[in-house]
Amino acid sequence: MNGLSLGEKLFVQGGIAQDLRSDGRKRLTYRPIYVETGVIPQANGSARVRMGGTDVIASVKAEIGRPSPLQPNKGKVSIYVDCSPTAAPVFEGRGAEELSTELSVALQRCLLGGKSGAGAGIDLSSLIVVEGKVCWDLYIDGLVVSSDGNLLDALGAAIKAALSNTGIPRVHVAAEASGEDQPELDISDEEFLQFDTSEVPVIVTLTKVGRHYIVDATLDEESEMSSALSVSINRKGLICGLTKRGGAGLDPSVVLDMISVAKHVSEQLTDRLDSEISAAEAVEEE
Amino acid sequence: MAGGASATAPSTYSPSPNQKKKPPLFKDGDLDWVRPDGREFHQCRPAFFRTGAVNAAAGSAYAEFGNTKVIVSVFGPRESKKAMMYSDMGRLNCNVSYTTFATAVRGQVLDQKESSSMLHKALEGAIRLETFPKTTVDVFALVLESGGSDLPVVISCASLALADAGIMLYDLVTAVSVSCLGPNLVIDPISEEESYQDGSLMITCMPSRYEVTQLTITGEWSSARINEAMQLCLDACSKLGKVMRSCLKEAASASEES
Repeated sequence: MNGLSLGEKLFVQGGIAQDLRSDGRKRLTYRPIYVETGVIPQANGSARVRMGGTDVIASVKAEIGRPSPLQPNKGKVSIYVDCSPTAAPVFEGRGAEELSTELSVALQRCLLGGKSGAGAGIDLSSLIVVEGKVCWDLYIDGLVVSSDGNLLDALGAAIKAALSNTGIPRVHVAAEASGEDQPELDISDEEFLQFDTSEVPVIVTLTKVGRHYIVDATLDEESEMSSALSVSINRKGLICGLTKRGGAGLDPSVVLDMISVAKHVSEQLTDRLDSEISAAEAVEEE
Repeated sequence: MAGGASATAPSTYSPSPNQKKKPPLFKDGDLDWVRPDGREFHQCRPAFFRTGAVNAAAGSAYAEFGNTKVIVSVFGPRESKKAMMYSDMGRLNCNVSYTTFATAVRGQVLDQKESSSMLHKALEGAIRLETFPKTTVDVFALVLESGGSDLPVVISCASLALADAGIMLYDLVTAVSVSCLGPNLVIDPISEEESYQDGSLMITCMPSRYEVTQLTITGEWSSARINEAMQLCLDACSKLGKVMRSCLKEAASASEES
């Protein structure tokens, strides 16, 4: 896809082996992260995250819906990612479909937790309005505006920022409807409920190039990868989701080592992201 | 070659019990908790494999793990579609579909796109794509009955079908999943267990090379628990590999005799 010459390839690989990458970073250093919140007024919450040449937007929309009969005490959340053709010509038409599905599935796995809700970043039972009848449906949409590698981490950060920016209108249930009737709702446009996003995990992708792993790989570095492991880790240091990309096999001991490295990296990333998000929120309020 | 001397093919692939015997763990203090099908927590369902299920295909395999029944056929290598660009590597095309009667609710929408991409990712690392340039191998999997752990069964069965088709592989790919139910790790879960699970971990690996080709985790896990679950899966994977190998050998010796 992005054609590197043999010399360039060796330069990228050699740099990683010597812990000095093409842009001067170390193997486990992220590019500077810029967070902007409230970029889409139409949405209930939104954020834009930039990391070097990677630029993504996440928006959260809330709509009134009906809980599924299987889980009457839980709201619904869905995550979709769209890769805009403005980011790269290969995303035109159906070209982006494969990447979009891969990213959506990975984000759902990393952020929504298990079937029973364990490890979920969003507490689904907080989205319920009237049990079994009315709940909030959250639609989280990610958009890749420009791509320079490490899309998953950037999207994960953008979604975390967008969720902390999200206000869900307070709903007053007018009169308790009896039986099968849908209750009458009064949706407030002044009072908003905020999400607790401290439990939302961050996603750390370790890309394996040669014998070493790097974080926050650029597109050039990603083209040299043999495999990559995306781990989502919450503040407590527990792993909430994991996906592997790239065909090459990994030794099980390497997998465990990568998980522990990712855990270590996530601690710094969580702190940095939280301070960036609160700074962005402060700017928006001014 | 492991298990070459044994005359009878093993039919199950449960991992060996842990060296140190742990006290039995029970869900939420419920001492009578047993698995719905009466298995032990670390006991797998009996695995049944047959190759050559479809005549028209270059290679095919049928797998039955309890109520999970899967058929996979492999076509090719055949010429890639005209629209595809030239490639000196072969292409792998995977598709997983469910019959409308596979699930309890008819035509229940399952994410087939996701399964297809998972199957692709699990297999691509094991296939020697450079041995069939310019061409495509199609792997079509059909889940006849969904009884839990569908994807691992599909993946194992697909690698057997690829071997049956004579596609060059580094190794067979075997897949095993565990579910996390409260404090317990339950291997090879059935649908009922999957619907209550707190988390799940699936490993696909190449047992002889001892390499993980794909790994997915959902739910909340500590590192120690991941380690435990991985060991459990890897042990089961290597045993499953032996079951699959003996199935291939049986098919080969049967065709020699006739």
